[in-house]
Amino acid sequence: MKKTLPKYYPLIPVFAAYLIMFLVGFSIPGMWQMVALLAFYCALGQSWNIFMGMTGYVDFGYVTFIALGTYGMSLGITYLSQYEWLGIGIIVIGFILALFLASLSALLEAFIALRLRGAYFAIACIGINEGLRYLIEGAKFWGGSEGLIFFGALVQALGRETVNQLTTFWADFSVFIIAALAAFLNMHYMRSKIGYALTAVREDEDAAKVMGINANKYKTIAFLTSGWLGAAVGAMAWGLKLGYVYPGDVFVIHYTVECIVVVLLGGAGTLLGPVIGGLIYGLSKYWLAVIMPGFQLLIFAPIIIIIIVVAPEGVVGLLKSKLKGTKLEMFIE
Amino acid sequence: MIFQLLVGNLTHGLLLGGVYGVATMGLSLIFGVINVVNVGHGQFIMVGAFVALTMFTALGLSPVIAIPVALVLGMALGFFFFYTVMRRLIKAPELTSLLATFAMGILLEEIAKLIFGADFRGYNWAVGKITLPITTIPMSKVYAFVGSIVIALFLYFWFSKTRLGTAMRAVIEDNEGARVCGVNVGWIYALSFAIGIGLTVMSGVLLTMFIPVGINPYMGGRYTLKAFVIAVLGGLTSPYGAFFAGLIFGLIENGAYTLFAQIPGVAPFPLTVSLAFWMLFFLLLVKPTGLLGK
Amino acid sequence: MKKNYLRVLIFMTIFGLLFAANAFAAPPSKLVIGHPACLSGKYAKAGEQAIGGVKACIDWVNNVYGGILVGGKRVPLEYKYYDCESKKEGVTSLIERLITVDKVNVVFSAYSSGLTLAGAPVAERYSMLYMDHGGASDRIFQQGFQYIVQTIGPGSKYHVGTLSMIDHFDPEAKKVALAYEDSEFARMTMGGAEKHAKKLGKKIVFKRTYPKGVTDLTPLLSDMKARKPDIVVGGGHYEDGQLFARQMSDLDINVKALSLVASATLPAYYKALGGGIAEGVMGPSHWEYGVTFSPDGAMKVGLDWIGPGQDEFVSLFKKALGKDMIPDYHAAEAGAQVLAYVKAVENIGSVDQFKVRAALGKLKFMSFYGGWDVDDTGMQIGHSMVDMQWQNGKRVIVWPLEAATGNLIYPKPKF
Repeated sequence: MKKTLPKYYPLIPVFAAYLIMFLVGFSIPGMWQMVALLAFYCALGQSWNIFMGMTGYVDFGYVTFIALGTYGMSLGITYLSQYEWLGIGIIVIGFILALFLASLSALLEAFIALRLRGAYFAIACIGINEGLRYLIEGAKFWGGSEGLIFFGALVQALGRETVNQLTTFWADFSVFIIAALAAFLNMHYMRSKIGYALTAVREDEDAAKVMGINANKYKTIAFLTSGWLGAAVGAMAWGLKLGYVYPGDVFVIHYTVECIVVVLLGGAGTLLGPVIGGLIYGLSKYWLAVIMPGFQLLIFAPIIIIIIVVAPEGVVGLLKSKLKGTKLEMFIE
Repeated sequence: MIFQLLVGNLTHGLLLGGVYGVATMGLSLIFGVINVVNVGHGQFIMVGAFVALTMFTALGLSPVIAIPVALVLGMALGFFFFYTVMRRLIKAPELTSLLATFAMGILLEEIAKLIFGADFRGYNWAVGKITLPITTIPMSKVYAFVGSIVIALFLYFWFSKTRLGTAMRAVIEDNEGARVCGVNVGWIYALSFAIGIGLTVMSGVLLTMFIPVGINPYMGGRYTLKAFVIAVLGGLTSPYGAFFAGLIFGLIENGAYTLFAQIPGVAPFPLTVSLAFWMLFFLLLVKPTGLLGK
Repeated sequence: MKKNYLRVLIFMTIFGLLFAANAFAAPPSKLVIGHPACLSGKYAKAGEQAIGGVKACIDWVNNVYGGILVGGKRVPLEYKYYDCESKKEGVTSLIERLITVDKVNVVFSAYSSGLTLAGAPVAERYSMLYMDHGGASDRIFQQGFQYIVQTIGPGSKYHVGTLSMIDHFDPEAKKVALAYEDSEFARMTMGGAEKHAKKLGKKIVFKRTYPKGVTDLTPLLSDMKARKPDIVVGGGHYEDGQLFARQMSDLDINVKALSLVASATLPAYYKALGGGIAEGVMGPSHWEYGVTFSPDGAMKVGLDWIGPGQDEFVSLFKKALGKDMIPDYHAAEAGAQVLAYVKAVENIGSVDQFKVRAALGKLKFMSFYGGWDVDDTGMQIGHSMVDMQWQNGKRVIVWPLEAATGNLIYPKPKF
């Protein structure tokens, strides 16, 4: 490990990027939803990265957290909107419910991680995701395959104007907050005991154990943090913002892959990586959809392959090696 | 009546299981040899389905002839992807190889869409039916099952009797050891990847003999997840294990449906799928070497 | 925090005023339809049809009709579409772009109930007219959205006519089996069918759903076979409709009537099943190539007529996509939606969102697609369905009798 003092310089470019995105979205008409889409990708990348970067586990079932977060928010609003005195409190309760459901799932995955590694771990997590989705549809709880549609309930509880504001501004704004929080936590963990402990575990688990590092405790913390952030993104960007949830629309492995693409484009295990990855991925997807509707995947797939083959450390990896020895080095992590 | 229904459904399940088995052997072979989980697996099955469809509708050839054609085409695709992409990723963390195979899958889907369009198509290879007292079985399903048994046996002999086959097995069991014993590991990697893809594309043809409709560029994804479950049942690194796990999975899938359908108030189809994934999950935790493993 | 919120509010108000000013300005030089279409992903098939239908009708409005009459002059229609990849994240950002950057006058929803719901809050937020041609769920219209209008008919109507028809020809066929896809749309069809079957005094002997993307229906169909139904109604999408008939044939389940939603009616269905198997299979549809709605017919029922005739629409559709493809009902409903917009704008001579929405609520007219009428929530109630049957490789309309192009073959030939 480097001898860097516990300073948070590398957070500066990350926060600057989020601030610029926010300002662009806020002041240029028509950019807000697009910027919100970028923030969504950045936040997901950042949250997934905490998990992967710190523990080395590739969680292919990460979307479970996002989906459970969406369900937490949806359940809260659907079942509590009848109590008028709760007011905006239903969203707070929904959010807490989202975190609670994600905690259960995170603890389960942490338990698997005790036994399985690599591809086995990835497949087991896919198993949880699909098993849960079809259990909801088959056993018909939480609305079953009919899902929950609660925009109307929300309007009834909080009034049309407030809901308009909530769904098209505050839901997206909170995704920014979550993204920034994820970056901060990532940095904080890297610079504190948990980061050093997990690095030691990743490099040589047995040696770390001999030295008295409680690997399981730190792994569980990382799993929980990552899961909570994912659930928070789900609760806001899919739950509150869209006003409906179908199991077949949220438990979709494809979104995990999007997280991975974002992280890998930017640079796995780095702080700035997910932001840059999210920007590249979101922007190119958006513009390809606008310029060449229908062909974006055909263009995107080979680009991903080329990047993996040519620059497996991602953009930040390249940047880091370019800036080595210069004063800017301390801002890139 | 339930008993009769169960036996009838299990018969269909067994036949389908053979196809599932062949459809998973490629995945296990590739994971065993080069330690890569092919997330684009189902899309290669889709390629096979289009081979069968095109040969039947455009050239009027029976799917039986499409089987070897699919094998050759699949192996060519396998070699191409191996030498352009996979070769560089063998030593890389699994993250990159997972993503690379996923991107390959998308590429295949989009190219197929460009060529064939997004339409759902099908063909009708009418070769008669057998009527049993418990159920009716179309002959095409029987041929698909016989085909999958033949392929599995062929692979078994190839692995145990030929030099290349034993070398491949040696690499699965002990990579370094095989290298020391003078096996050309690089070539074995390439060949196994190509054979794995070839088998998978071939299984796409078998699958259309079983279900000759709904062929479209995006049909593959759902088979990827099924193949994962089967591969884990079979112990992930063992192609034969995968074949037998396929048979078992076909039986479970149809049998469990029949039993779940007896419970009022639930939807048996999703419960069956859910059961399969929870089974995968517990098996991984309790016995990661698979049902038939040591 | 409080202060920040205020600033946001002020900003939004200014923003909103700018928009309002925009809407009240002098007659526009063109009208733009925005559409976050599904060109790729799981709804790519329906998406392509919808784009073709919209393009065909815009072509007709601009070149045959001469443009929309608004503010005393005729202005052309334009079409701006992007690809949402059939995904909910794409829909929201693309709709905002259409509204703010492209300054469209109306947004057409993406295909499916889910994607229609995903875009609705953004459309509401900008007070933008949002026309739904692909979301069949009744629940969309129970959410209190003010700017949404539906062209597609509600799902619960689909099999009502079918069951009435069979009852008309063979009141003795009592045993009905229901087997639908577990999707928003098909569940509504199933609910409607079950209710109507009971009303007709039928006996429901089998009732099941199967998930989207099912690959093998054998266990479900074996179960159904054991119940010996006379009539089988079901389906949900194109692919499972293929699978349904194919595997019924595999299992030799011969019934008197088989009707599948959203699949049997598509022109390529017969070929996809390789011929014989589709023979005698029926399907209900909003619109089918061969439906004879005409200006004369419209006059008889006292409705205005607008738009191309059927053959004209088909040729415009082929021209728009540059493919020799027959349009299906996805194209027709998207096309009819263009005509509804044109009609509503002309009726009030304004492009103000709120006024157009109100005008659409009062609008009644007929086009090649059939009747058009929505209720207070924006739900379509004026459109009636037809039933078709495959006979010798041709699609024949068999119900209602006044629209029929041939006689029903009953019972259905054996597989």
